[in-house]
Parts: sequence; structure tokens; C-alpha cells
Amino acid sequence: MSAKPILIVGGGPAGLSAAHAAARAGREVVLVDKADRLGGAPILQGYAKLVPSHEWARDAIGGMVTRVAQNPNVTIHTGAEVQLFEGEPGAFTATLKDGRKIAAESAILATGFTHFDSLNKPEWGFGTYPDVVTTVQVEQMISSGQGIRCPSDGRVPDRVAILLCVGSRDRQIGREWCSKICCTVSANIAMEIRELSPRTNVYIYYMDIRTFGLYEGDYYWRSQEEAKVKYIKARIAEVTSDGQRLVVKGEDTLVKRPITIPFDMVVHAIGMDPNVDNMTLSAVFGVALNRYGYIDKATPYAGLAQTSRPGVYVCGAATGPETIDDSIAQGQAAAMSALNRAGTVLMNAAE
Amino acid sequence: MPIHEKSLIRPENLVTNDSLVIDGVDVSGHWSTFIRARTITDYNEAMEEEIAALPGGENIHRCWQCGSCTNACTVNAVNPEFNPRYWIYLIRQGLEEELLRDKDIIWQCVSCNKCTYACPRDVVPEGVMKATAHWLELKGHTPKSPSTHFDESFHDSIVRTGKIEEGRILLEFLKKTGQPLRQPWLEALVRGLVKRFPVFYLMRMGWNTVMRPRTRGWRRAGAAIEDYVQERKAGQARALGLDQEA
Ligand SMILES: Cc1cc2nc3c(=O)[nH]c(=O)nc-3n(C[C@H](O)[C@H](O)[C@H](O)COP(=O)(O)OP(=O)(O)OC[C@H]3O[C@@H](n4cnc5c(N)ncnc54)[C@H](O)[C@@H]3O)c2cc1C
Ligand code: SF4
Ligand code: SF4
Ligand code: SF4
Repeated sequence: MSAKPILIVGGGPAGLSAAHAAARAGREVVLVDKADRLGGAPILQGYAKLVPSHEWARDAIGGMVTRVAQNPNVTIHTGAEVQLFEGEPGAFTATLKDGRKIAAESAILATGFTHFDSLNKPEWGFGTYPDVVTTVQVEQMISSGQGIRCPSDGRVPDRVAILLCVGSRDRQIGREWCSKICCTVSANIAMEIRELSPRTNVYIYYMDIRTFGLYEGDYYWRSQEEAKVKYIKARIAEVTSDGQRLVVKGEDTLVKRPITIPFDMVVHAIGMDPNVDNMTLSAVFGVALNRYGYIDKATPYAGLAQTSRPGVYVCGAATGPETIDDSIAQGQAAAMSALNRAGTVLMNAAE
Repeated sequence: MPIHEKSLIRPENLVTNDSLVIDGVDVSGHWSTFIRARTITDYNEAMEEEIAALPGGENIHRCWQCGSCTNACTVNAVNPEFNPRYWIYLIRQGLEEELLRDKDIIWQCVSCNKCTYACPRDVVPEGVMKATAHWLELKGHTPKSPSTHFDESFHDSIVRTGKIEEGRILLEFLKKTGQPLRQPWLEALVRGLVKRFPVFYLMRMGWNTVMRPRTRGWRRAGAAIEDYVQERKAGQARALGLDQEA
């Protein structure tokens, strides 16, 4: 079999899943990731327990990394980026930044997303007040074992506010999408906070709650019914400080009243932006982006994971906000498409 | 902006300065009328737990404010101010002052349980209404409701004699709720009884009313029930922080 390897760019949940699927099917895989290690956001950002498995990210995604790293069919380049990508389906050549060349049958982009930078919503106090943090920081507080503490003085907060849709669903900052997982992740985090510190009261400020599918019962309902997390329908206008505690201002829309409530800690449920590299990736790989800036994916009816360029596939959060489970499923789908393509070529050659 | 419809604003939130001059312009009297902002400045985190500690209130934390209960409510159909969904919200956030504005209508729930069967989260709003009315009484915000008076007389009768002394309970209820003891329907009932009952029964009823005999062996059973009730009441007082005050 004269098969060239399948090139996979990005080693997060989606890329790891694609690499595993293709390698298990007996194909050579070259996995390129610009970070210094594999695992994607859950590993690089130090997430705590994952939705919906409740497994620690380092165990669950760490296991995926080990599985791929130990597969002899997989060659891994970390700290690497593709600079040039030329050729035709079945005969691509990728050139890495350090000049190395990789011959590839096809390519799968699993380059993921970039966390929204809360500095772009200055009215919500991130960067101004140390006790305004993001969901990523809370994940790190939990996964590092240090517990929930206010960064300013290390105290355990009496009261925590989680603001949903930070960096999502907001025309003011050009982000119209719903980041899909942050409602569920916030409910999960709220329950973890209540478990770690039962005296801490947690309030979630929401516009809509989008704990889709089975997450409704396991996260939204359970967080209310078992962890007594409180949900308040309000989009917060600003976060300030009275010198001692943070003050959250907005309108409680259910009672039609302004609110100015003191809090010890405010958590931004940050959204999933398109990868900041997407313009570059688009130029290098010759793939179109959609109007939001994610890598465009064709409808799935004819072929899965197809970008605008034949022989180049895409999966996971590179295509838009995705969950880990869906990213993994899409990784397998992309691998299947790549394998199918190779199969077609072989069959044609045999005739 | 002029205030066109003052009737929509609570009078205590309408402020008028009798004499006020701004930048040399006299805006005394109704020219300076403004509406005081009613900002929520804090949450009282104890309130939900207090209501949840009373019978019926246990599931209040499940509410997600869909409004099905209010929409289904028998009393709401008559009085739009009767809004279980809204009160549950106020309680969950501890907006006590706001809840107290409605203290004179909350007890009007007729326990039809239409809300209970409409609620998608199994909050049992009927129970919450009961617990809330109870809370208002225990905290001294409302006088004892007629049903509380009835419950108390009923309870006294049982604990004391092991029997439901209907006549006595009824008379006490009328007395406590300030109703005339001579009710035409009651008199008609008694007249009917006297006319139809054999003399033996009437004499026995009379003797029972005066002597109040106990059910055999009731002393211990009554005491046990009373202990249990007192224990529950003490628990509720503790939950409401009323034990220190007493
Ligand atoms: C706070 C937070 C908590 C979350 N918790 C959960 C959860 O509990 N459960 C859940 O299902 N989802 C969760 N998510 C969503 C989850 O992070 C994503 O679904 C998942 O990371 C997507 O996987 P991916 O492989 O597509 O992308 P990523 O995880 O972003 O991985 C992309 C990989 O590509 C690499 N890369 C990027 N650009 C390049 C480039 N130009 N060249 C080479 N390599 C590149 C990156 O280094 C990275 O390793 C959470 C998201 C957030 C923000
Ligand atoms: S998942 Fe929830 S928090 Fe995230 S953007 Fe959508 S609605 Fe907002
Ligand atoms: S039980 Fe009370 S609150 Fe419920 S529907 Fe009937 S009157 Fe309304
Ligand atoms: S029906 Fe149930 S969930 Fe809906 S507002 Fe009423 S109590 Fe809350």
C-alpha cells in the first residue's frame, strides 16, 4: 500500500480522536500541534471535572493523549505549525515553520477555539478587580486543589455570582453565537463550588438557560434541586466595587427592578471564540471561513467534515462552539472521511 | 418627563418637594414630583431556608419561575394580585419587605392544588403558600388566620380528651374569630338535634360537654402527641430564629 500519512493539525479532543481512529485503522498519521504538549483546551487550560462524565480532564483527555502517543502509527510534532500547504488530494505537501516537509494523503484541521478575552467587556470588571475571574480560572482553582478562593486576599467567598454569555450572544462585540457549553459548565462549576464550600452561596445571572438535551436534568435541575444554586434572570450591566466587595448592577427582569448586589467573587462564563489563528489557517490551507470566523464546513448529507478544499477536513471546535463529546465524534467522522477518500483512490487505481 | 399615571406607582415612592428651586426655576409642589427608584440592594439568604423548614415549603428551591402556577391559580383568576410565582421569587431572594406588602392576601390560597398539578418542577406551590402564610404568622406579620384558630381548638380538644368535641371546637372557633355565637344555621341544627335525638343521647351529650371525659388510656397517648407537636414547633421556631427571642 503506497498510502501517505494523514496530516492532523491540532491535538485537542477532536484531533486526538481523529488520530486514534485513523491509526487504529492502520494508517500512518502525523499529528502537529503548536502547543508544547497534546490535549487541547482541557489539558492546556487545566479544566477540572468534565461535563458530562464528571471525570477529571487530566484523566479523561490525558488518557486520549497517552493512547495516541503510544500508537506506533502516529508521529507527533509539538511546538509546530504548518506554514505552507500545497498539492492535490492524495499528494499534499505540508511545510512546517522549522522547514520540515510532510507528505500527506489528506489533512484534518482540528485546531479548536480561543477563549474569549474578558478584557473586551470592561464593564464587567475583569482586569480591574482581582476577584472578577473567568470560568477557566475557577476550573484551575478546582483542578489544582487550592479550592475556591478570592484572588485578592485568599478568603473563601460567601457569595459568588456567575455571569453567563460573557463574549457570546452580543452584537456589541460582534459575537452573535451561543457558545453552547458554558451554561452547563457554569451549572457544573456552581455545584462544585457548593460542594467544596457549602457556606458559599452561588447565583447565576442568565438571559436563557441552554443546558441542552440530557444536561437539563443533570446540570440545570440538579444544581437547583440538590446544590441550591440560584438563577436570576438578568443581564448584568456593570461590575464595580464599594471598596470592600464587588457590586453587581443590573435589572432583575422578573420583578422589574434595578439590582445592586454585593458579591465576593464574580465569574465570567467565557465563550468560545474562533481560533485567533483562523485567518492564517484559512490562507495556508486554502479553506473558507464562515461568517463568524470559524472554519466553514459543508452540510453533512453527502460527506462528513468537508471543508471548501477537497482532501481537507475539519472537526471539533474549529467549526464553531462544540462540546468535547461532539468534538470527539466529529474527529472520528473526519478520520472516516479521510479513510474513505484514500479508499476511493486505491479502488480507482486498482481498476 | 411628567408622570401621567400616578395610580400605577405606589404612593410612598412618589416624592414631591414642597419648595424647591433648581437653577433659579421654582419647581415647588407637583412640578418637582419624581419617582423613587426601588433598587434591590441585597439578598437575604436565610428566607428561603426558613420557608423550606415549614411543612409544605420543602421544594421551594426548585422553582424556575415559569408562571404555570399563577396561570392555573383559582384565586389569581379573581384577584390578579394573588401571584404564587412572584412570591416564590421574592422568598428565594429574600425580598422580605416586598413580600410583606402582600401579607394580607397570601393566606387567601384556597388549597385547590391546581398549581400543584400544573407545576413542571414539582414545587408544590400550594404547600409553599401554606408555609408562607404560616411563616407570616410565626413572625408576627399577620394575626392568626381563621384556619390557625380552628387548628388550635381542634388540637386542644384531641390532646386533652382524645376526642373531637365538635360543639366546643365550633364555639371556640366562633369566639376566637369574633363571630356571634348565635348563628341562625347553628341554632337550626341544634333545634333539629333536640327534636330528633332520643333523650338518653341528649343527656349523654350534655354530660360529655360538661365533664369532658377522656378516651380510655388517653393520658399517655395525648402526652406523646403533645410532645411531638411541641418538638416540631420548637424545630420550626429554631429554623426561623425565633427561639432566642422568646
Ligand atoms: C471553561 C470551559 C470549560 C469547558 N468544559 C467542558 C466540559 O466540561 N465538557 C465539554 O464537553 N466541553 C467543555 N468545554 C468545551 C471544550 O473545551 C471543547 O469542546 C474542546 O476543547 C474542543 O476540542 P477541540 O479539539 O476541537 O479544540 P481544542 O481543545 O481547542 O484543541 C485545539 C488544539 O489545536 C491546537 N492548535 C490551535 N491552533 C493551531 C495551529 N494554528 N497550529 C497547530 N496547532 C494548533 C491547540 O494547541 C490545541 O491543542 C469547555 C470550554 C470552556 C471554555
Ligand atoms: S451556552 Fe449559555 S452561557 Fe453559553 S453562550 Fe449559550 S446561553 Fe450563553
Ligand atoms: S392551591 Fe392556592 S396557590 Fe394553588 S392554585 Fe389553588 S388557590 Fe392558587
Ligand atoms: S409552576 Fe412551579 S416552577 Fe413554575 S413558577 Fe410555579 S412553582 Fe415555579
